[in-house]
Amino acid sequence: MALTEQLRQELDELVRNYPDKRAALIPFLHRCQEELGGWISPEVMEDCAEYFGLEPVEIYGVASFYPMFRLRPIGRHVVSVCRNISCDLRGADEIVQRACAVTSARVGESSDDGRFYLETVECQGACADAPMMVVDGTYHENLESDDVERILGGLE
Amino acid sequence: MSGTETYLLDGCARAGSHTLDVYRKHGGYDTLARVLKELTPAEVTEIVKDSGLRGRGGAGFPTGLKWSFMPDPAQDDRTRYMALNADESEPGTCKDRVLLREDPHRLIEGCLIAAWAMQLSAVYIYVRGEYRLPYDRVQAAVNEARAAGLVGAKILGTDFSCEIFMHKGAGAYICGEETGLMESLEGKRGHPRPKPPFPAGFGLWGQPTTVNNVETIFNVPFILERGADWFKNLGTEKSPGNFLCGVSGHVERPGVYEVPLGMPAQRILDEHAGGVWKGRALKAWFPGGSSTGLMPASTIDTPMDHDSIRGIGSMFGTGAMILLDETACVVRASFVIARFYDHESCGQCSQCREGTQWLSQIFERIEDGRGRPEDIDLLTDLAHGMAPGKTICALSDAAAIPTHSVVKHFRAELLEHIELGRCPLQAKRVAEGAPA
Amino acid sequence: MTKIILNGREVDADPEQPLIHACHTAGTDVPHYCYHPGLSPVGSCRICQVEVRMNAEAPPRVMVACRTPISEGMIVDTDAAPAHAARKECLEFLLKNHPLDCPICDKAGECTLQDYSFDEGQGAGRTVEPRRKLEKRKDLGDVIVLDQERCILCSRCVRFMDEIPKTPQLVVSQRGADSVIETFMDRPLTGNYQGNLADVCPVGALTLKPFRFKARVWNLQKSASTCAECSRGCSITTEVLRNGELKRFRPRANPDVNGYWMCDTGRFAFEHANAPERLAGAALRNGQGWTAVHPIDALEVARDMLVTHGTALLVASPFLTVEEGAALVALGRELGARPMFVSPPKNELADDLLHTGDPCPNRRGLTELGIDGLSAHDILAKIAEHESVVLVGERVAELMGPEALAALPAALRMIVFDSHLLDVPAADVCIGVPIHVERAGTWINIDGHAGRIAHARPAPAGVQLLTRSLEGLADLLTSETRAR
Repeated sequence: MALTEQLRQELDELVRNYPDKRAALIPFLHRCQEELGGWISPEVMEDCAEYFGLEPVEIYGVASFYPMFRLRPIGRHVVSVCRNISCDLRGADEIVQRACAVTSARVGESSDDGRFYLETVECQGACADAPMMVVDGTYHENLESDDVERILGGLE
Repeated sequence: MSGTETYLLDGCARAGSHTLDVYRKHGGYDTLARVLKELTPAEVTEIVKDSGLRGRGGAGFPTGLKWSFMPDPAQDDRTRYMALNADESEPGTCKDRVLLREDPHRLIEGCLIAAWAMQLSAVYIYVRGEYRLPYDRVQAAVNEARAAGLVGAKILGTDFSCEIFMHKGAGAYICGEETGLMESLEGKRGHPRPKPPFPAGFGLWGQPTTVNNVETIFNVPFILERGADWFKNLGTEKSPGNFLCGVSGHVERPGVYEVPLGMPAQRILDEHAGGVWKGRALKAWFPGGSSTGLMPASTIDTPMDHDSIRGIGSMFGTGAMILLDETACVVRASFVIARFYDHESCGQCSQCREGTQWLSQIFERIEDGRGRPEDIDLLTDLAHGMAPGKTICALSDAAAIPTHSVVKHFRAELLEHIELGRCPLQAKRVAEGAPA
Repeated sequence: MTKIILNGREVDADPEQPLIHACHTAGTDVPHYCYHPGLSPVGSCRICQVEVRMNAEAPPRVMVACRTPISEGMIVDTDAAPAHAARKECLEFLLKNHPLDCPICDKAGECTLQDYSFDEGQGAGRTVEPRRKLEKRKDLGDVIVLDQERCILCSRCVRFMDEIPKTPQLVVSQRGADSVIETFMDRPLTGNYQGNLADVCPVGALTLKPFRFKARVWNLQKSASTCAECSRGCSITTEVLRNGELKRFRPRANPDVNGYWMCDTGRFAFEHANAPERLAGAALRNGQGWTAVHPIDALEVARDMLVTHGTALLVASPFLTVEEGAALVALGRELGARPMFVSPPKNELADDLLHTGDPCPNRRGLTELGIDGLSAHDILAKIAEHESVVLVGERVAELMGPEALAALPAALRMIVFDSHLLDVPAADVCIGVPIHVERAGTWINIDGHAGRIAHARPAPAGVQLLTRSLEGLADLLTSETRAR
């Protein structure tokens, strides 16, 4: 059983918001990822399948559609650098390069020391404050390339 | 059109604007109370219709008309829903994020007025997963409102009940498409549904549903408070009201600015965004997000309203202007947005799944100096094969439109890349000492 | 029924079905991949584009026929230039990442991506981009191999599993151009309906392991027939190579019986049909051994035994056709005996979909002829009370139990009509019969639907039809009676 009792109780609450409990799946997968090591393991998908009365493969089909869900273990800190047009025009490339250097990770991979997972992402809705990146869910905007080291350097 | 009256962002400027206390101190929820007491649902819809409010999510469809598509509760007693589309993800668009974060109670008030007009049982606020702070702010506001008897059973002591639930997405542009959003909300892959059936007849869980954008609903309390005539006095005859114009790219002061519809893009650029940055000249711009296509600088005096922008062969979209200065490479820009549509295609329809990838590959090749003369016709043919109306939803169109526009307006630059076998502008930027 | 104008001709259309159904019903082909008449329509492949006008005044629009509802008087042109152009464009996208490994693809020859590309695709590819690299031999269990590169993501396989056996096991995972068909953690597929996946796949992405690289489909001769594995009697095609080797059973659409599907038990039931050492002609016991004789000579010996050893017990195979059953009943009248058939117990394969668990494909047909089913055990008890017994029809010895038959006394006179020699002490005469793929006839299924079985390949040389043998024996008995 990968799901904790607390998560199951949360899920019992969450499904009350919807006429059909399956609707709670995506919000709940977020919670699983937050609480269970930053990714959604096959065991979590199997537990969810049982709860929702679905087959594990159906959970997998949904989870793999949404890039915010990680289906393999990744570094402790998730660094997502926007590469879309507004950020690209204001130097996203350089932010990506700096992030690679600071994290020692390649884009789409985790660093060998397990500290970071680095990815480029599409528009995050902070276009007027470009370039930007999201670190562990927190937005960092109007970045200069020196900001990258300042923001990431202190993370363990 | 004075061009100076604002309302959308006024509340956001107040300290603690996201709290119920501050919102109520400035008359918050008074309009809801009056509407519930004095107006029938049909009268509310009529006022919204009369105001001429058009959806701010991209399509510009008249909001009151959309509401009127919901079946009459006297004829059809099914449960009815609204999905509030806060899955803002059109490149360049960053307006709803401000409203969600800074003025969530106004949004809730708008939802409840809409709920009264359409006799909804519940509103689901679908917030893109990345918007963590905005999500938390709206969730806190919903909790406050529920505790104050503003959301849930017997709102403000009336017989009207409506729930508001928060729902978090997980990173998919396509879930901003109304039927993709509904699929996603139901816990499925965000595959848009073929239409018909339309959401008003067969929406969430097969029930009548309307899907509205955040900024659209945000306008509703103002319209009900100040009247349709007040609203019509702002903006243009066919596109009334103010809108939030996200300005991004090569400008001095990127930002989200409140301006009346119909204000020329040049004025927004100059008066609000401080003009093109670094004293450079404008080369090209997207009028309303990347899906509206890349337009030449010569069109920058166009008024920002639906009809005027349509007149230059583009679309108003989300009203998010993205500006490119003279050093920018339109091929690079085309690649970046083609890559975006490739990443975001849900993959159902053959043309979109394969075509978005193909366009991205071709633009990347041309930018890398591996373009072929025949690629230009191929781009046109592919874009023609992808749109209009050839797929279940409009994402394929959204990828085709910028392709057509770059071939039409910037063919010479494409050819130059192909003939030189490299990006001429990248070389220039490097020479100027800018990052490559 | 609703009237529509299809390619200039008025036709009836079922208003409950999408436009493509009306086109197909009227014999007009409209290319399609994601659409399958037995599955829910999703309208995603976008190939079935046709030109539609809602009435004579309305402007023409190109629409996908699988998601277009029927409306009275709509005017449909499947041949309009814009429709052809739209389909041609769509095909170019579908081929963009397709590996074009048709020479080594099992689907070649019955692949609709090939067919429609030939019909209206363009002559030359325009992509120079590298094609998608994915898994080409993904093992999905005992039945299916998945080639992800060939897949065009029509999702028929996913919907089949979801909607027909209702055991979701496949999904489209990832998204956009990265989309692939997968099982959860590469788990093997389970269930008795997996073979249908290879049928619903319009391309060579899902192929049958047992059929892989075994035959080119254009070398297969196909005959409409009926499955022998249970009393559902699914409509099938029997597909044989020119040398007579049976290669495939595939479901044949029949809304009254099996829809579009069949189970894997039936699909792969070749063992009996391809069994070697068939009894050609007939054989007579000769001391410890057997002498090959012409069936007519064998029938005369049989006649002599039957007239001298009391009333014989007539035991039929459940695989007898209605026609063979009637001939047996007629023979029984000559002998004053009422035939019965050996009815094996229900097996474990019964499900809610097709398989009935009753291995007798013509139970109903035989019962209606007055031939009742008895267990092998009960029949053996009856044999003990008789001096002579006639076993009639393919697999009858197998179903009676070869060991039990071997234990019968040598003094018993036993005449056997079966596909293989029954070498037991009691057997005196063995006459070869054609098996179900070698003869025509009728089986009546559990619900009373008649299913024709097809003569898909010739029986071994010297084997004559069972009806002919039974009628011949009856004739010999008649003349014997008259002679007395």
